[in-house]
Amino acid sequence: MKRAQVLMIAATLLLLTAVSTLLFSQSKVKFDQPVLITSAGQSADVTIAGMLFKKANVQARAISLAKASDLEGIKTLVVVAGFSSKGLGAAGISREQELDRVKSLLAAAQEKKLKIVTFHLGGKARRGNQSDDFNKMAAEVSSYLLVVKQGNEDQFFSKLAAEKKIAIELVDKIADAVQPLAKMFEK
Amino acid sequence: MERHHIVALCLLIVVAVVCTLAGREFLKMHEPDEIIPGQGVTKIENLSTYFGALAGMSSDTKVYILDSGRPGATALVLGGTHPNEPAGFMTAVVLTEHASAREGRLIVIPQVCGSGFTCTDPLEGYPQSFSVQSKSKMRTFRFGARGSNPLTEWPDPLVFLQYPSGQQLSGNEVRNLNRSYPGRPDGTVTERIAFAVMQLIERENVDIAFDLHEAAPEIPIINAIVTHEKGKDAAASALFTLESENLQYALEMSPPNFHGLSHREWGDRSPVFPYLMETSNPIQGRLRGKTNEALVVQGVDQKYYEAAQIGSMRITYNLEGEPLARRVGRHLRGVQALLGAYMESMPEKRIVVDNVPAYEQILERGIGEYLH
Repeated sequence: MKRAQVLMIAATLLLLTAVSTLLFSQSKVKFDQPVLITSAGQSADVTIAGMLFKKANVQARAISLAKASDLEGIKTLVVVAGFSSKGLGAAGISREQELDRVKSLLAAAQEKKLKIVTFHLGGKARRGNQSDDFNKMAAEVSSYLLVVKQGNEDQFFSKLAAEKKIAIELVDKIADAVQPLAKMFEK
Repeated sequence: MERHHIVALCLLIVVAVVCTLAGREFLKMHEPDEIIPGQGVTKIENLSTYFGALAGMSSDTKVYILDSGRPGATALVLGGTHPNEPAGFMTAVVLTEHASAREGRLIVIPQVCGSGFTCTDPLEGYPQSFSVQSKSKMRTFRFGARGSNPLTEWPDPLVFLQYPSGQQLSGNEVRNLNRSYPGRPDGTVTERIAFAVMQLIERENVDIAFDLHEAAPEIPIINAIVTHEKGKDAAASALFTLESENLQYALEMSPPNFHGLSHREWGDRSPVFPYLMETSNPIQGRLRGKTNEALVVQGVDQKYYEAAQIGSMRITYNLEGEPLARRVGRHLRGVQALLGAYMESMPEKRIVVDNVPAYEQILERGIGEYLH
């Protein structure tokens, strides 16, 4: 293959990557209301997500321990991923019980063909072995990931998004998530 | 006198000298630290004012009241729940020596577990004290133990039955103030301290309270705000404020079924909005290297740096370490942000505290700049 052809292919690939990143980062993926917010790992980041929805003027109901029956009438399921031992203690459940709950909830949402979104807001504090089972479980069945960059320093979410062809928005700070969130639900 | 008598006498003298020096060091831990009230302090009480049985004991401690004279909310700041977590009590010392209330009242107890300041934890190799250069002199503060002095309530039971929940914890937790709330008047020394704090909260009509802590850098709950469910919206709002200033915090909920903790029992048993805050303190961690005064103050540890390099840390840790000034700065800013968020949710209950050094100021100038 000639050098010019190699350069051409490389340039095309680069362009395609840039365009797809731009499209994804512009939150072109649209979602409908009503929205249910739940946790995967029982961190208090659900409360933060609730506040983001308020700031973005998007109606959403938050149930940290949501079950399949709570999906009735819901169009978008937002899963706030990240493990918290205190949160599990507060919920009175074990990590295994939480993994089972999240797994069944996600399966039910997929069966109902709901759109699933994963939020990862807690940065490094919500990474590591305990959290990553929840992060992966939720992210890989999502159609959109909204991630605070500090939690993606090792490209955990970016790699997963590229592999599964999932749209991803990386924000510097939690507060920066308001704008893409509002765009997600723009009519 | 025969030769062996002389040798024995010499040995006895050496032993006596060693014992005297060790005894002096031991007794030094019972000498109270100098805390110099600033102009903002309008009244000084003892914790025994709220529960008389503490009077004259090592567990009694000073309570500093900064009253604006204007109506508003009352905030309580506790440092020294765990006396081996110096950023907690040094934050309270800075508030006592430098802050003033413009609206409402601030009550500060820098060394709430007075008994725990009279010893260090065995086998940890902790220094007995650390020093900070203030504007006028070198200030030395004791570095204590996690719990009350075992001499005050020896021996620990095999299993600690938390009162009144009946929750079972390991025996040494019987001396942990932050497992002992609400306490009881006829309980252990630690339960009596907890009881006195509950009495203070009730009698002073405290609206919002802070329990300032530190934890090992490798555990998940560091740089965190732990909240009772009633305070979670204000905590989330404060977290946004802090994040906008590049101070990352994790929000953690207080488990309702884990009893004896300040953020649980204060919130369940009084109208107070309770918050516990944690910074990251390398001297408490298992990965630490040399354990000395420099580690308390500068927070630089090569082993933690190496751990960060291999991705084993949940915080960013570089060769600047986690200095005491940064940890105190975080606590001070956290308290201010939570007070602000509290006022947003309770506009009729205002509390404004002035002369609290900003995070950047304390980083740049050090803690000593704000001590007498």
